[in-house]
Amino acid sequence: MGTQTLEGFPSDIVVTDPAEGSVTVTVDAAVYPLEAVYGAAYIFIDRCYVLLDRPKAGAYAVTLTEKSGAGDAASRRAMAGELINELLTQAWRQKIIEENRVVIETVTAQALAGSMAEPSLDDLASFDFSEDSFDDPLGIAMSWEEKYRKKTPTEASGAEASTEAKP
Amino acid sequence: MIERRFHKELYAPAAVQGAVDAFARFAQIELSDEGDYRVVRVSARRPERERKVAQELGNFAFGLSRKEGLA
Repeated sequence: MGTQTLEGFPSDIVVTDPAEGSVTVTVDAAVYPLEAVYGAAYIFIDRCYVLLDRPKAGAYAVTLTEKSGAGDAASRRAMAGELINELLTQAWRQKIIEENRVVIETVTAQALAGSMAEPSLDDLASFDFSEDSFDDPLGIAMSWEEKYRKKTPTEASGAEASTEAKP
Repeated sequence: MIERRFHKELYAPAAVQGAVDAFARFAQIELSDEGDYRVVRVSARRPERERKVAQELGNFAFGLSRKEGLA
């Protein structure tokens, strides 16, 4: 008995081998990076035998065989579905990591630099203590009283005028 | 005899070699290089043992590849 299609999945993506109790999912390498394929397949290593392959250029194939023996079609379908969902999760995670890599590295570098040592006297001498460089457009650094105090009639009329001037 | 083909882009050569070394005492294992693949052939007296060793060897090679950060 050879490979068969699995109900509910496209035949060019998921095939199953009932005799082996395996299911093979083939995905486009342009959509799912190798790290995502690795991460998704690794999730199953405790309950399945995992085999990765490159059946053709631009594609990865993941074959899962249940360790507990040949299950029925329903269990193989559930396994394939779980793998495909996990592939999407891992691909999305990779994308987020890529997009935030600069932010993460910058914050980490600043945290490490800040914990290196106390500032020297020269550092303090050259530090800019003026408030000119401090930008607080959302008023986060303002005290509650300062931010929510009752406005004087002059301030209130000024605020209305600036609101009306806006389109 | 059971054959397992490990693509070089997906499995680190050292990982496949490490897996072969780890399972060499459970069956007769041959390792060869064929184009894009490193091919492992597992032979044992009983077919079930061949199958089991080949499958476990595959998982072991996968785990080592991931540990070494090939991908």
